Amino acid sequence: MDSPTTNNHNHIHTHHLNGASTISQPSKKPKLLSSSFITPAEIHEEFSHHDPSVARINNGSFGCCPASVIAAQHRSQLHYLRQPDNFYFNELKKGILQSRTIIKDLVNAKHVDEISIVDNATTAAAIVLQHTAWSFHEGTFQKGDVVLMLHYAYGAVKKSMEAYVTRAGGHVIEVPLPFPVASNEEIVREFRKALERGKSEGKRIRLAVIDHVTSMPCVVIPVKELVQICREEGVEKVFIDAAHSIGCVDVDMEEIGADFYTSNLHKWFFCPPSIAFLYTRKTPKGGSELHHPVVSHEYGNGLAVESAWIGTRDYSAQLVVPAALEFVNRFQGGIEGIKKRNHDAVVEMGEMLAQSWGTHLGSPPDMCGSMIMVGLPTSLGIACDDDALGLRVHLREQFGVEVPIYYRPPRDGEVGCVTGYARISHQVYNKVDDYHKFRDAVNQLVNNGFTCALLSG
Amino acid sequence: MPQDDDEDPRNGAVEANDHAHQSPLKKPRLTRPISEPDILQEFSHHQQGFARINNGSFGSCPRSVLSAQNTWHLRFLQQPDEFFFNSLRKGILESRAAVKALINADDVDDVSLVDNATTAAAIVLQQVGRQFADGSFRKNDAVIMFHCAFPAVKKSIGAYIGPAGGSVVEVRLPFPVRSNEEIIAEFKKGLERGKINGGRVRFAMIDHITSMPSVVLPVRELIRVCREEGVDQVFVDGAHSIGSVPVDVKEIDADFYVSNLYKWFFAPPAVAFLHCKNSKGLVDLHHPVVSQEYGKGLALESSWVGNRDYTPQLVVPSILEFVNRFEGGIKGIMKRNHDGVVKMGTMLAESWGTMLGSPPEMCASMIMVGLPSRLCVTSDDDAMSLRTHLRVYHRIEVPTYYQALRNEDRDPKDKDGFITGYVRISRQIYNTDEDYHRLKNAINQILEDGKICSMLPVE
Repeated sequence: MDSPTTNNHNHIHTHHLNGASTISQPSKKPKLLSSSFITPAEIHEEFSHHDPSVARINNGSFGCCPASVIAAQHRSQLHYLRQPDNFYFNELKKGILQSRTIIKDLVNAKHVDEISIVDNATTAAAIVLQHTAWSFHEGTFQKGDVVLMLHYAYGAVKKSMEAYVTRAGGHVIEVPLPFPVASNEEIVREFRKALERGKSEGKRIRLAVIDHVTSMPCVVIPVKELVQICREEGVEKVFIDAAHSIGCVDVDMEEIGADFYTSNLHKWFFCPPSIAFLYTRKTPKGGSELHHPVVSHEYGNGLAVESAWIGTRDYSAQLVVPAALEFVNRFQGGIEGIKKRNHDAVVEMGEMLAQSWGTHLGSPPDMCGSMIMVGLPTSLGIACDDDALGLRVHLREQFGVEVPIYYRPPRDGEVGCVTGYARISHQVYNKVDDYHKFRDAVNQLVNNGFTCALLSG
Repeated sequence: MPQDDDEDPRNGAVEANDHAHQSPLKKPRLTRPISEPDILQEFSHHQQGFARINNGSFGSCPRSVLSAQNTWHLRFLQQPDEFFFNSLRKGILESRAAVKALINADDVDDVSLVDNATTAAAIVLQQVGRQFADGSFRKNDAVIMFHCAFPAVKKSIGAYIGPAGGSVVEVRLPFPVRSNEEIIAEFKKGLERGKINGGRVRFAMIDHITSMPSVVLPVRELIRVCREEGVDQVFVDGAHSIGSVPVDVKEIDADFYVSNLYKWFFAPPAVAFLHCKNSKGLVDLHHPVVSQEYGKGLALESSWVGNRDYTPQLVVPSILEFVNRFEGGIKGIMKRNHDGVVKMGTMLAESWGTMLGSPPEMCASMIMVGLPSRLCVTSDDDAMSLRTHLRVYHRIEVPTYYQALRNEDRDPKDKDGFITGYVRISRQIYNTDEDYHRLKNAINQILEDGKICSMLPVE
């Protein structure tokens, strides 16, 4: 997965951000002396605002933001409040461009024009799908043309498909995915089958929406391979919903080769809520005419410029990317080091839990990033989505453990199988104790004969 | 602050009956009203030694509201899942209920909170566009708006309605303006033009207070005219209105009414309310950012558009607390701002030998003041140069406006020539008379130095 070297940039892209001359903020390589790396005590301090009574093993949902980046955000906010006109005329555009430039380098995009900053992946999905709807309305796409998505696509994206694609006359096909999953081949197989279904009615497949890391259940999808298959099979455009990926898995636009790609920086890249990037690949024909749905006076100046001004708002979360990068570079190996250590730790903790409970992991280690699904003991009796939510609330309120629970319906013929999985995350602030607390909580529930049926009483 | 408090005036706001909608507005605390030093402290984060006479563009937010916002933000950071599941929805509903009482709305379901008026425009125009696209509105039907509508909103109309097939009628705002009648007459002419292709005027976009040049429009009469002409939907862009003019949505009776809370109602950037008359009947009104809440009504859709910072939407109760520390509450603030800006506008016009852009009763907390013709404002660039020069060299922030001559006998003049430039001065509670005297002196100084706009240094 590592592909460090040459590309079209005039600087060598390595996994450590070099101090690109266009970036004035420190994006230096992490120092070579170990004594200058961030210490555990400093990490603890950076996250001292987290509720200490909670084993916070759900970084995946809402992410986290270290104190130094929060402080940078406050400074930016106060700066704006102090003299907003001056900020608007002289500082805002520059700041957003700086953030976009850093992101471009982080994700190996060719041009900064290809990087727009939006609120979150949900907004990015609306932007892409609104354009798809428009293509149906104006006749570029025919009624019945296909848009593909994964069955495990995020709930908001599914609704967006309904609102924009189905409503405009598009035919949405969902790719069923196995879970638990054992290999990439299982996913590729289902994907190919869905493509065949899509083409079988003689319609064109206009767009494939593919998660990079599915939310629930959480699995890393082999996007590079799927994009290649899409190209081979004549899928017109591919949109990768990678809400989790930056800071969690490798994100390389040239490698992956998608037309549109979005990821949240407030999940795994230490930015405050909220900021995401939407990458739109430049083609020889020019960019796709995507527009931000909130139209301002910048309309028509390109998505990146449109998104940089959607009326008066607090743009500070979009302006602190330099501070987030500075934070990340205090760690050994920078973001690469963080990703690797998170991955190794979450796998280790997942295996520890599965062993303690006598269950299994939802995917092999190489199909996970900084999150992994761990089967819950069947005696807990998770029999529906409400049970999963109820158990989650119970764990939060009675045990001080924050972890999302997934209900996995049994397939035909399956008996006594695991129906509940916990999605555990590991981020730099997590400790082994967090997972022990979770392990012990579940074991206690099992020993006490707890079942989810008790919750609805 | 989101704490329980027996004396909490928010309790009054949330429980206010419809007929007593004014109670959260008119209930200043029984203790002494806020003092001058307190007000200075509340805005001590503003750049000191700077005459900030442009509250209209970006608004202002007192420290106590910023502090309340910070408390919410910290709660989210501490345990975001718990916040999301247990606090967020409740908090937004409380804010919406406070707004409902403030604007005399019938139903809290009709009140949505969005980022700003620009977002509200996109929401409303998207559904207008759909009605053209699906044939409910015909290709020869029209939409009507004022020529000086906010640029973002004009672009939004172009983006959502143009491609869908409707035509756009622009009504020129008479300016300088002398009376409501002038505006209503122009609007009526516009409505006639809208029917020229044999169609109807389906949608009217009316500013409550125009941005540039800034005038309070007679919205109630204009809407009455629209109803008489059978206009299907009226959208009032009241971006500036809440906190500068009274807003009673029942009385105004628009189909859609938006106002920014961060301009004149002390909210942090950025939050606005969008009121939709009988929202339950509007099946096709959606937030363009679709989430799991899709289909549950605009208010719920807007309350979750993905993971974001919702704290500006959560502090409305705290704002009411702030506003009620003033004598007369928000009404008292509005009156004092109005009287103050008229007084200062008149002072400037007298000193410069110019005039006001509108009579005092057609302005709220902002007023347009003619600039001396000797400054030679001959283009938008000139106006911008002057603004920048004032900011950099005189530490004054005031927006400027250029209006070309219209070759009518009404083109305004001073003793030296035609007046083509104006400043839009704002007055908010943190302003002092000194701010406006500085502006008076700065302009007079520029004139004494014999400079014109195109000669002014801007760096």
